[in-house]
Amino acid sequence: MDSVEALVAHVQALSGNPEEVSHLHSLLKQSEDSLRSQASRLFPFLEQLDPSKHSLGYLYLLEAYSSGPLLEEQASGYLLTVVEFIDSCSAEQIRLAPDKFTSVCKSFKDQVMQLEVAIRGVAPLRTAIRKLQTSSEHLTTLHPDFLLLCLLSKCYKAGLSILDDDIFEVDQPRDLFLYCYYGGMINIGLKRFHKALECLHNVVTAPMTSLNAIAVEAFKKYVLVSLIHNGQVPSFPKYTSGTAQRNLKNYTQPYTDLANCYATGKFSELETSIQTNIEKFQADNNLGLVRQVLSSLYKRNIQRLTQTYLTLSLQDIAGAAQLKTPREAEMHVLRMIQDGEIFATINQKDGMVSFHEDPEQYKTCEMIEHIDSSIQRLMALSKKLSSIDEHISCDPAYLTKIGRERQRFDFDDFDSVPHKFLQT
Amino acid sequence: MDLSQLQSALASKSYEKIADICDEVMLQVEAHHFPKVASRGIVFQEEWPYAIHLLGHIYVNDLNSARFLWKSIPQGIKESRPELVAAWKIGQCLWNRDYAGVYGAIRGFEWSPEVIGLVTTFLDALQQGWTLDSSSQMLTVSKPKITTEQKLDPSKLQRLTEFVFHLEH
Repeated sequence: MDSVEALVAHVQALSGNPEEVSHLHSLLKQSEDSLRSQASRLFPFLEQLDPSKHSLGYLYLLEAYSSGPLLEEQASGYLLTVVEFIDSCSAEQIRLAPDKFTSVCKSFKDQVMQLEVAIRGVAPLRTAIRKLQTSSEHLTTLHPDFLLLCLLSKCYKAGLSILDDDIFEVDQPRDLFLYCYYGGMINIGLKRFHKALECLHNVVTAPMTSLNAIAVEAFKKYVLVSLIHNGQVPSFPKYTSGTAQRNLKNYTQPYTDLANCYATGKFSELETSIQTNIEKFQADNNLGLVRQVLSSLYKRNIQRLTQTYLTLSLQDIAGAAQLKTPREAEMHVLRMIQDGEIFATINQKDGMVSFHEDPEQYKTCEMIEHIDSSIQRLMALSKKLSSIDEHISCDPAYLTKIGRERQRFDFDDFDSVPHKFLQT
Repeated sequence: MDLSQLQSALASKSYEKIADICDEVMLQVEAHHFPKVASRGIVFQEEWPYAIHLLGHIYVNDLNSARFLWKSIPQGIKESRPELVAAWKIGQCLWNRDYAGVYGAIRGFEWSPEVIGLVTTFLDALQQGWTLDSSSQMLTVSKPKITTEQKLDPSKLQRLTEFVFHLEH
């Protein structure tokens, strides 16, 4: 077994080109146990290495060090070392040992959370993801950790740079569940309810053979955000797993009750339903959202009025929407006009509100750009889908299954299936 | 703390960029904040330009971020910086849609030379839809909708062609 000194010398000598690094990699793998057993002495050796040139060797030492116990007075020095390593390391080298890199980043995140300084981990983890990813479409196990830090530090916008990437490749299904759940929460924090619904929808409809806690919590928020944003909860789409369809509602009864009361449009019923289950909502950390559901009911009722009336007095609006005074009705209508939720004019002189048609003519530059970029996205998605389809048609597991079912069909249906897969 | 990007944005009156620049620099400062020795280093918060940061969020109407930022500021700093408090007052009035209050909050404070440009530009943009009915002393606020009709250009034609091709295959 090499001593640490000898290993460090190897790292310095063998980091120049890919062949050397590959040789170094095998040496490092052989020394793993030795490094771990000497974890506590390793820190000073890091100073002999350059994190940008000797990234792989540096990573092995750093990971071994972090697997040992970390003393309080060493914590700051260690964290700064990890931050500087993440900033300057070579992506090519660390991708040779992704598990080790992930392990270092995870223990960094744990430390940062323990010290309650989540904000200090946001920029480093974002950098770490970009270095670890093989492309921006690749979901790593660090993605949910990053979003968690954004949530804890309330740096929601920082999460967007990662969250707005489309994901097509996933390492671990559990990461996807957590990533989408946290993504939903970040979008809720930013009040991008439409995007939040997309994220939560992904959790709820993801393939699962057994129910998991993340899906249950995601469904609770999904119900609430659906009510706030759309006034109703959609039924499960066909591609939702049977597990989710059969079981989710059993674990989220208070939320289903809330949705049913919302549908009546009656404020008092909704309030009662909330009061009945208030401890559960609080325990789930959903009370803020529940309150937003309540205030959205006013909006919903006012919106319904625009479909029936051309003009209405503030007094009548207050009555119909179960608001206490015309002044309150004015506040709500004003907000909705300013937020673009209805098109109306308030005449303060006679207290009348006139509802208008949506003035959007769909002829503006902005609208054209919007439609255009949607079309581009759809075309790219369609191409992606075609290539995934081709990929699956070559997949051995798929072909084996098809081959097994071959007798049920004509030979002509499967000329594309190679003979070796045609077994009984 | 490298505030050069912020300073050049202020100098070039690119006020809409200020919030993003501040957010990013703050994340970087936080990440490198661990003191090398395990003693309490200089707390960067005392040097941080919170008023400009807050006004940057207000300028682009991002009141959510303004609120989160305000909540994260240490109490001592809130108490010792009147300009910061005045900036927050603008945010509060905007949150409550109290536009007369916004006007008052801006006009009623003597802003430092660093932020005066930002604040007055913001007020000008905000006032574009305002009309004062002098007989009834009522202020009407309407958001001006700036729309431009579509212009046809060759690149759009190209994109439409690609789309039709895609649909047919």
